[in-house]
Amino acid sequence: MKHILLFFFPLLFVLSLQGQIVKDFIDDESDLYAATKQVNQFFRRFNGEEDTRGVRYYPEDKMFRNAGLRKTYLENLFDNENPFITPALKESFIGYVTNPRQPVYIDFHGGSWFAEVTTTFSFHGAERYLTLFLQLEKDTIGSKWVITNVFFEPFAKVFADQDSLRTTGQKFLHPMSHELDFMNLVRAFEQKESLEHYVAWKYHPDYLTLFIYEYKRGNLVFKTVSRVKFHFFQADGWYFEIGEFNRRGYNTGWLISNLMKISPEEKDILMKYIYHE
Amino acid sequence: MKIKILLIFALTLFLSSSLSAQDILSKQRKAAIDSLALEKVRDLSKYISIIGSKETPFSEANRVIERTLELFVEDAQMGVSSLYREDIKYYPVRKYLERLMALNYDKINIKWYDIQYISDLELQPDGRYVGVITIYQRFEGTTDDGMVYKDTTKKDITVYVEKKQTQISGRLIDFWDVLLGDIRVAETQR
Repeated sequence: MKHILLFFFPLLFVLSLQGQIVKDFIDDESDLYAATKQVNQFFRRFNGEEDTRGVRYYPEDKMFRNAGLRKTYLENLFDNENPFITPALKESFIGYVTNPRQPVYIDFHGGSWFAEVTTTFSFHGAERYLTLFLQLEKDTIGSKWVITNVFFEPFAKVFADQDSLRTTGQKFLHPMSHELDFMNLVRAFEQKESLEHYVAWKYHPDYLTLFIYEYKRGNLVFKTVSRVKFHFFQADGWYFEIGEFNRRGYNTGWLISNLMKISPEEKDILMKYIYHE
Repeated sequence: MKIKILLIFALTLFLSSSLSAQDILSKQRKAAIDSLALEKVRDLSKYISIIGSKETPFSEANRVIERTLELFVEDAQMGVSSLYREDIKYYPVRKYLERLMALNYDKINIKWYDIQYISDLELQPDGRYVGVITIYQRFEGTTDDGMVYKDTTKKDITVYVEKKQTQISGRLIDFWDVLLGDIRVAETQR
């Protein structure tokens, strides 16, 4: 019966199951084998660095980064329920990263990828979502994840957008203010909402510093982690995001949840969008 | 049990041969460390089944909890989420095990899927290697009025591989020890 069932599964999963030594078989486990269970497995499948049982290939192994194996894995690494990842876009991406003349592999320590973690903090007693951005950083020995950026709505609300401020009229310290010992600073501090008129053009508030300050003052108290996703810019001209899909079936685990072909200019815009800048 | 301890000790000694923390683990060493780590995870699975079983006497369950804690580094935590509450709730391992022992079901059945996924080992700044082993558990609890609660959870278990030293016949010998760390427990849709 097991073999009859196996016949109907996609090739990848058939291969997976045939390789298993199944003891105390309590249920059909094929969906668990199919799931991309860890981000580590996403890397290995993307690069073609493990067999269908999840056992790692090493550079000396014949099948290490085998192009055929990679294509089979890559086909199954997308969120199939996302209508924005069209078959044509998907094929174009797979073709790009498996190009025999210049294949693209993702590298755990290669930079150009980072985590976006949605957390909950208590802020002055009220629970609020706070987004942490983390990157891998090399240390003297080994590596570690470090917080590189923060987005927090209550912080963002404090800062006025300089472009929109300009539309309401200009305020400034005139260029001869120094001769008056900057006595006109008094005007800059008359209204809280217009202070950004008087700061450097395209000044960016540093939410990470604010976050550390508020945390140390005891105003921010960590509660929990709600959601994690990862942004990848390792394939030139492409951006993809991966998220974890906990659902029934074979299209589960860590999958590509967003895919875009981008120019260098679009990359900058996209980065700003991700960081809420 | 003694034979098992001796075997594990022999294996760790075999692994230790002149391996420094900076070394990149070879295929053979990684495989040997993986099997050591899996051994610990299997022990954990076995202990969880014993602690959760209603047939285990209270004193025996407490004894097994102590033995389970020996598998872990200090301060290890369980981070639990369900399908209906994606936020992670944190429990110290002891508290998690004590809650498991005290669950209010007439009958509890814990089974493990015959699947495990072992990540690469990464070197962390304190010189230890860290990896994650993923396993799946099915839980079935039946109340005395016949109500059945079932779930399947994915358990992502942190594994620390640490270089230690022991003295044998006056000689200091390095070996690698494996300890478990934080565990992320997530209910799955299946």
